[in-house]
Amino acid sequence: MVVRLDGVVRDRFEGRLFRVPSRVLSAPTILYPGLDWKRVDLLGSLQRLGYRESATHDPLGLGRFHLRRGELRIHRRAFEHPTRAEPARVLALRLEGSVISELRDASSGRELGAAFLEPELVGAYYGSDHEQRELVRLGEVPEHLIDAILAVEDQRFRDHRGVDVRRIIGALVANLRAGGIRQGGSTLTQQLVKNFFLTPERSLERKFQEAVMALIVEARYEKDAILEAYLNEIYLGQRGSTAVHGVGEASHFFFGKGVRDLALPESALIAAIIKSPNGLSPHSEPERAQKRRDLVLELMAEQGRIDDVALAAAKDEPVRVAKVTPEPREARYFLDALQRQLPNFYGPTTLTTEGLQIYSTLDLRLQRTAARVVAEELARLEKTYAKLKPQGDVQVQACLIALRPQTGEVLALVGGRDYGKSQFDRCTQARRPAGSVFKPFVYAAALEPASGGPVLTLAAWVDDDPLELLTPAGPWRPKNFDHENHGRVPLREALERSYNVATARLGQQVGIPRVIEMAHRLGIESPLPQVPSLAIGAADITPIELARAYATLANGGIRPQIRTFEDVVDPLAGTLERQPIEAERVLDDGTAYLVTSLLEGVVNRGTAAALRRGGLSGPVAGKTGTSNDERDAWFVGYTPELVAVVWIGFDEPKSLGLAASAIALPVWERFVREATGGVVRGRFLRPPEVDEIEIDPMTGAVALAGCPARRVEYFLQGTEPVETCPGWIDRWEPRDGRGFLERLFETWLDRL
Amino acid sequence: MSARLAFVLGLALWLPLLACQIPRGVVGVEPLSLSRVAGEGDPARRASMRLVMGGLESDGEGRGVEASSRYQRALQVDPTNPYAWLALARQEVFEGDAERGLAHLDKARALLGADERATAHLVGLRGAALVALGQPRLGEPFLQEARQLAPVVWGDGKLDASELW
Repeated sequence: MVVRLDGVVRDRFEGRLFRVPSRVLSAPTILYPGLDWKRVDLLGSLQRLGYRESATHDPLGLGRFHLRRGELRIHRRAFEHPTRAEPARVLALRLEGSVISELRDASSGRELGAAFLEPELVGAYYGSDHEQRELVRLGEVPEHLIDAILAVEDQRFRDHRGVDVRRIIGALVANLRAGGIRQGGSTLTQQLVKNFFLTPERSLERKFQEAVMALIVEARYEKDAILEAYLNEIYLGQRGSTAVHGVGEASHFFFGKGVRDLALPESALIAAIIKSPNGLSPHSEPERAQKRRDLVLELMAEQGRIDDVALAAAKDEPVRVAKVTPEPREARYFLDALQRQLPNFYGPTTLTTEGLQIYSTLDLRLQRTAARVVAEELARLEKTYAKLKPQGDVQVQACLIALRPQTGEVLALVGGRDYGKSQFDRCTQARRPAGSVFKPFVYAAALEPASGGPVLTLAAWVDDDPLELLTPAGPWRPKNFDHENHGRVPLREALERSYNVATARLGQQVGIPRVIEMAHRLGIESPLPQVPSLAIGAADITPIELARAYATLANGGIRPQIRTFEDVVDPLAGTLERQPIEAERVLDDGTAYLVTSLLEGVVNRGTAAALRRGGLSGPVAGKTGTSNDERDAWFVGYTPELVAVVWIGFDEPKSLGLAASAIALPVWERFVREATGGVVRGRFLRPPEVDEIEIDPMTGAVALAGCPARRVEYFLQGTEPVETCPGWIDRWEPRDGRGFLERLFETWLDRL
Repeated sequence: MSARLAFVLGLALWLPLLACQIPRGVVGVEPLSLSRVAGEGDPARRASMRLVMGGLESDGEGRGVEASSRYQRALQVDPTNPYAWLALARQEVFEGDAERGLAHLDKARALLGADERATAHLVGLRGAALVALGQPRLGEPFLQEARQLAPVVWGDGKLDASELW
């Protein structure tokens, strides 16, 4: 038996002692003068990071912040980043309304251009035990924490050999007197053995096994190794469904700081709750916790581990703990998407046991906004539209994904209404009919200067008269959403009003193979059918593909690689994986700008004009999309710095009975309005190869002075109209053998 | 009459130059240095530039990975900051992946528009990237142009972080 138990002990101690779930961290919050600190929810971030408000700023303890009129001070903790360690620092922020007007290092008075807060926890990849721990080395643990634990749990730890006979006899006597089991005689080593190898069952046989294994552990391993294992193993509380293990994790959980920064009263509190982490929890039972903490402090004094002065000072400290911040649940779909993007060797076993730190691209503020907006807007839509009311388990679903178009970083991802009920991610796993959100790819193909030049310019007109095309499946007659035909319409209007017939005809003019090639180039990876109806979106694609393709347009024709993480770090071995910004030019910036200009028209005048009525100002481009039978409602839109896709529909084929502008657009509008504060920064840059020319809207000719109607239009250089507004045509006619320009110069020179 | 002819001929020569898409570098124009533009723009741009400057410092001290991370943070604050793209392109061309560098350079070029101070760096980095990608015949003419435009900076065919500072 001893040989068998020895084998068990060695297997565990000489293998991986702990399975540590890998954590996913958000992109850091960056503070800088000019930032709207209320919009970025700075105080919320501080609280989630475990910072506690302090009544004074002098002195301001580590992990505390002090807010008073016009000033915010934050004693930021030191933190590690894959490429750089950020030191602890007191940040002084001068506030003017909701804006940070000045940012300084309070110690040196030096003005700072920018400062980081530590990344927030997005989530973790748990094993079946759902335990979370942060491994600590014994050298990192303050002496007073070790003293506190030994004082109350095993004061003769350094002297016994795994089993403390004196303590067992003492406990036996106490229990006999009490008439039941009131006191344990277990040493730290026995507790460790019990947690590692045995069941909680209380029997003599199990107790005997525990004692034998404790003796084996002590015989084989150093006291410090046993103590370190104990400090990392011990159960100390519950964060929702996650068990908090080890003093490292507990320090963050209770005090919002690393173990090395604990003060004596905090150490005593951790030692105090080992006996009953839930019954003595300082969150739910602060008085009991304080009583037990004081007992620990007294034991420490009795055993000569602290002096009377320290005892009195520590007992005077009230029990203060960080607010419990439940692990965010909004980002579960994102965690899955990230896992799928990691190389194959980061399988579930690695992610649930290796304790990796994954620095993600997620903007936790945008993620929370997205999750809240989706939940609230769907509830509102269900109330407003009887057709959307849940029937049994059938509920309308949604996806919202937001990217930074220049870098491809996923900033927010909501793959459905409730991850608990359905883990199917509708942003990255669901292929749905695209409908009209596909149309911009047709226009991009038409406007791109190919070998024979572009098919059309933005001044062109297209025919929206009834169309019938013969296909292998029989004749195909596209219909407009309003069941009307509109005759010859300006190209802009065809997209702004999302005319199906005009776009189907344009698809034929350009050629469906060219449309397919354009869509793939922009970022669509799903197979696309070579059928005429592709031009109006008869193709199943995922929202994330659409997000990428529109990001390419927003990014001036440079297609970004989608990124969910930046670095994967092993705390012991350093950076294992890095995902750099990758991008490739797939479309000239001139054509990309022309399509953006068309899509701005959709927002300003077309099917998405409701966006402006909601109060969103600044440069916004986008397209609504409603698939056949109104089964899918889409809105894909972008600003110079953000692209977002909203899809709404049922998982099973079922009509929504509503247009995208009624249900998908409001979700997008609210998300972007809240994300940007209602004012979109920047502008869509017009590249030098695009000329801005005033034209006569009726003819597309250049509008010169005196032309009765005019509007600005954009042209790739070399595609500008050569005709002029009709009223001026006769002036261009040669007279007396001289052209118009020559005559104009002569008049000008004569005036000189 | 001859004056008129000369004027029309001059105009005919000048117009194509105006129409040229790529900003021409001008010999004698002081090449772009980021410290000179660091204080320009809105608060996000200025904060982004502080991060770029921090990245250049790290870059100059041989901490390329840290520099790259700083440039990425700069782009988190302002993804349309052309100087962050330029610095990232420089870092990739000389110390990372030249192909990635070319893509970042393209982004920087698009955002910089007609800023002729940047021309020497744009053409020089393009040349250096092409050379790094094993295409010296394509890259050398660009490097040559950069040398002519900014001989002090591009004389050695390289753009150090300190030279971009």
